[in-house]
Amino acid sequence: MNQAQPWMTRLASRRRAPLYRILLTALPLLVVVGFSPAVRAEEAPAFTDSLFQASEPLKAVDSVLAVKVGDPMPDFDLPTIDGGRVRRTDFVGKKKLVLSFVPAAWTPVCSGQWPGYNIARELFAAENAELVGVSVDNVPSLHAWVTQMGGLWFPVASDFWPHGALSGRLGILRPEGVAERALFIVDEKGVIRYIDVHDINARPDLGALITALRGVKD
Amino acid sequence: MKKAIWALVLAALALWSAPAWAGGASEAAGSEPLPVGAAFPDVSLGADLSPEHRAYLGIAKKSGPVRLADVSAPVVILEIFSMYCPHCQREAPVLNDLYGLLASGGHADRVKMLGIGAGNSAMEVELFRAKFDIRFPLAADQNFTVHDACGKVGTPYFYVLARKPGETAYTVVGSRLGRMDSPESFAADVLADAP
Repeated sequence: MNQAQPWMTRLASRRRAPLYRILLTALPLLVVVGFSPAVRAEEAPAFTDSLFQASEPLKAVDSVLAVKVGDPMPDFDLPTIDGGRVRRTDFVGKKKLVLSFVPAAWTPVCSGQWPGYNIARELFAAENAELVGVSVDNVPSLHAWVTQMGGLWFPVASDFWPHGALSGRLGILRPEGVAERALFIVDEKGVIRYIDVHDINARPDLGALITALRGVKD
Repeated sequence: MKKAIWALVLAALALWSAPAWAGGASEAAGSEPLPVGAAFPDVSLGADLSPEHRAYLGIAKKSGPVRLADVSAPVVILEIFSMYCPHCQREAPVLNDLYGLLASGGHADRVKMLGIGAGNSAMEVELFRAKFDIRFPLAADQNFTVHDACGKVGTPYFYVLARKPGETAYTVVGSRLGRMDSPESFAADVLADAP
């Protein structure tokens, strides 16, 4: 009986040990688990604390559109955060395209816009449309931001280099080098059918976008 | 000695649980929640509540726009949420569980649940309701009017409101920012807070 006991038997034999001994044993474990980066990353992402807070509202719109409804969507070929690319030609003749430009990663209004689209996938699918998010941030920064917000079902593309090239061609690149908060709907023929260059300080109503998307007919 | 050990254990548990609690919310800059004991503003609930939800709130005979004061229940759990808030999205099934718990526990007539979509249009609120099959009434607050009146709180934010017989205004009897630990513990807290 002196040979090693099964661990459950040994645990049971400790029931007679004073409570404080058990607690003393468990205390370091509790502290270590409590401050474990793995646990905190899953349970408590410090997402809000990571966001940059502007000191005051920005000028609502600070650019001049270079395209209008009825114009062809300029060609683009942008890298995405999953390592792929997204091109205008991917959609022509196949699907409608919704481009959602946001000014910058790690900012409050932008961080509160795309997570809402996460529960609206069926609305885009019902209109045979694909949604693509675009920002002038570089791929690693966009990847970190999207990961921290919990992931998105739609591709997120970087218009970082040449810096803001697509944003510039559309006329939505602001003097400080970020894109406007803007929405474009492009039909299956590659023609722009809807433009909303929104107040950069406010989130556009998803209802207005979906209504516009439903109105795009051949 | 034992007291000291217990103190250490409780401190460790508090440190362990605090970050998880804080992580379950989208915090808002400049938030000033209404304190316990404060009169809650008689906010508008709009005109879009369905007949089923009007019946739930005890205002079936009232048509058109309704206000919080029109609600007949002595206790209201009012959630400030946003369709865009990932924490609110994750909390939605839990709130349906809470709704079921209150009903199965015989509290459905006394305690009502109500959601206010801060900055959400009617379409956005309807999308949230349909996506998560929300069982209690939700009202849109597209221009943040109610959100401003409630202290510009983060989301999800829960106010527990109570009203004595004969009174028209609700009083804050409990509140919290962030996702609840469990619907069971939250229901127990609400029933303990409400007179």
